[in-house]
Amino acid sequence: MESSATIPSALTQAAFLVPAAAGLLAWLLGKVRRVLAEAFAVLGAAGALAVAIAIVPAVLRGEVLTGWGRELRVDSLSALLVLLISAVALCAAVFAIRYMRHRRLYDAQGQDVTDARLPIFYGLFLLFLATMLWGCITNNIIMLYVAVEATTIASGLLVAFYWDRRSLEAGYKYLMLLTVGITFALFACVLVYASASRYLPGVSAMLISEVQGVAGLIPRSVAIFVVALLIVGFGTKAGIAPFHPWLPDAHAEAPSPVSALLSGVMIKMAAYALARTVTLFFPAFPVLTVFVVVLGAFTMLLGGVMALAQDDLKRLLAYSSVSQIGYVVMGLGFGTYLGVYGGLFHLLNHAAAKALLFLSVGAVIYATSARSMGELGGLGRRMPLTAVCFFVGAFSLAGMPPFAGFMSKLTIFLAGAERGMWAAVAVAIFTSLLTLVVVFRAGQAVFWGAPKSQAAAAGSVREAPASLWVAMLALASVCVVLGVYPQLVYPLLNQAALNIAGVLGGH
Amino acid sequence: MPQNVHLIETLSMLLIITSVAAIEFQNLKRAAGAYAVQALLICGLILAFAAGNPALYVWAVVAFITKAVLTPWFIMRFIGKTGEQEVRPIVGFGVSVVVVSVILFTFYKLTHTYVHVLAPTPDSVAGVFRTNLAIALTVFVLGLYAILTRRDAIKTVIGLCLLENAVHLSLVSLAPTLRETALVGIATEVVVTVYLLLYVISGIRERVGTTDTFELAELHW
Repeated sequence: MESSATIPSALTQAAFLVPAAAGLLAWLLGKVRRVLAEAFAVLGAAGALAVAIAIVPAVLRGEVLTGWGRELRVDSLSALLVLLISAVALCAAVFAIRYMRHRRLYDAQGQDVTDARLPIFYGLFLLFLATMLWGCITNNIIMLYVAVEATTIASGLLVAFYWDRRSLEAGYKYLMLLTVGITFALFACVLVYASASRYLPGVSAMLISEVQGVAGLIPRSVAIFVVALLIVGFGTKAGIAPFHPWLPDAHAEAPSPVSALLSGVMIKMAAYALARTVTLFFPAFPVLTVFVVVLGAFTMLLGGVMALAQDDLKRLLAYSSVSQIGYVVMGLGFGTYLGVYGGLFHLLNHAAAKALLFLSVGAVIYATSARSMGELGGLGRRMPLTAVCFFVGAFSLAGMPPFAGFMSKLTIFLAGAERGMWAAVAVAIFTSLLTLVVVFRAGQAVFWGAPKSQAAAAGSVREAPASLWVAMLALASVCVVLGVYPQLVYPLLNQAALNIAGVLGGH
Repeated sequence: MPQNVHLIETLSMLLIITSVAAIEFQNLKRAAGAYAVQALLICGLILAFAAGNPALYVWAVVAFITKAVLTPWFIMRFIGKTGEQEVRPIVGFGVSVVVVSVILFTFYKLTHTYVHVLAPTPDSVAGVFRTNLAIALTVFVLGLYAILTRRDAIKTVIGLCLLENAVHLSLVSLAPTLRETALVGIATEVVVTVYLLLYVISGIRERVGTTDTFELAELHW
């Protein structure tokens, strides 16, 4: 892929500087009028999406955009992630406006401090978005680490935002476990930097595009050590088992729009970091692909089983994210064009479906203040739109036709069959059925039957306000449209898959 | 090869002693003090390498501010409000000292002997680099040990700082002559994370009334 034309472009900087600047404004001006914070949140995310859309035509022509010398680099894979992250963030921002006003926050003296805290919320929300985008754009392996750690810093206080016992516990574990985990990746990045510098005289040994050419020269034992550290480091952030224990806590205790970002796209950004770095070493170690497939299978099965045991809807969805990231990892692990294509397609579909599910559960919480299956029930008639959105997301997640998740999972199954890895395919199909049971059972408990608590039976329970379901409908339509017309995303996914498969030796 | 080999080796060896002290002192102020001493040692190490790479002076100054001033200050300020005694760790003092010694000697010996397995450059197998790499890995493991066995949230934060120092030691030892090394060191400071962690822990103390991480068991499975 290095033969493609590289073109300096200001879009590379704009992609993350726009939301970062909007975040600063949201925080500063939001102190004056709360509505300004909300406006800048939506504008910042929309601006990022606009930049992402402007980038796409160039990468489809096979061009690579660069910025700040070669520090920033947007190829088709980066563009895919940037587009996905900013689109999900826009939906989450629109959803957040009404949702975040709803639950009031009180300080130790019992004062209502909601309006004072919201500018901080939106400031961090946009900073979080900006750091995720930066991570997908930087071409510098050390800055990739810095960006991943920056997402943790920006989102740490978002996880603990409600500042009660549960969210504080989740916030502490989140900051601590992710920082410890990511330090392993830093160690790996330092080793890569130090060892690649030998072979790159006069060139910055931190540029991933340069390291790519010499990764095969790095001593074998060092490379194995580096790969192990990278998998622990970025794998922790991506929620790969057994490094996932922070994930259900953080994704469940964060406010729902933040959960949508964490589960929808943040773990994908970490998977991207893994794909960018670990695949550098794939050609030298073919056996690595088998190991990654096993890791993916273990992750999807464990996540699926744990999801089955949950009563809390948000924890159920969080465990299911662990399970689904397993599909992405498995697809990439197959190492073939078809496997990578399926993995990336599922990355996209899961982002849409899981963000949709978290927002739907958010709408249920908005209406009832309850989130465990044991308390809910019978909401289908009073919240029909939410119910439809939930089931669209649920069926896409479980890989049911005609929804998008079916297409990507099918691609992954086929890729596994092509590689002759039948055990992996069997685990993947079994987990899909398990997921169907998990989400269908949850949907049934929430939307059918009789209300199981006062909160769910209250006469005040009604459909969520328009700004909530507009965001949900947008994501639901993605799940449907990509299921019926999967070819819509083919051009971009094809380029991105060729990009990784190219690194792997062009299967 | 840098000129002041003996100085560098002495400073690195002292890193291990300060790590053990930071982990084992049950008085939190002393533990923070031990950490501050370690931070000064790291600054000294960076300075010792800076003769061959002037950019490292900048890193040394930044590291002094973030590691030796800000981090201990944040921790001290936090301890001031909470009382100085650590929440009893899951491993008692006597056992812990034995475990730490075992970790220390086996790990140091192991890495020092087999350093070529993970030495990315031929230089790094020789002399001072070999020692430093082995020490970096030993400090890293000691940091992990602290995080895993200490119940006190402050101690886990100190453990995290040890991990970071270990990586920085390996960075300056593996690539002391590269221009970007100083930039990498500065960009990878975790002082902001430490501040945020302490902020969240102070919230926990306010709402839950303890800094014992084992009390944080609302969320499981």
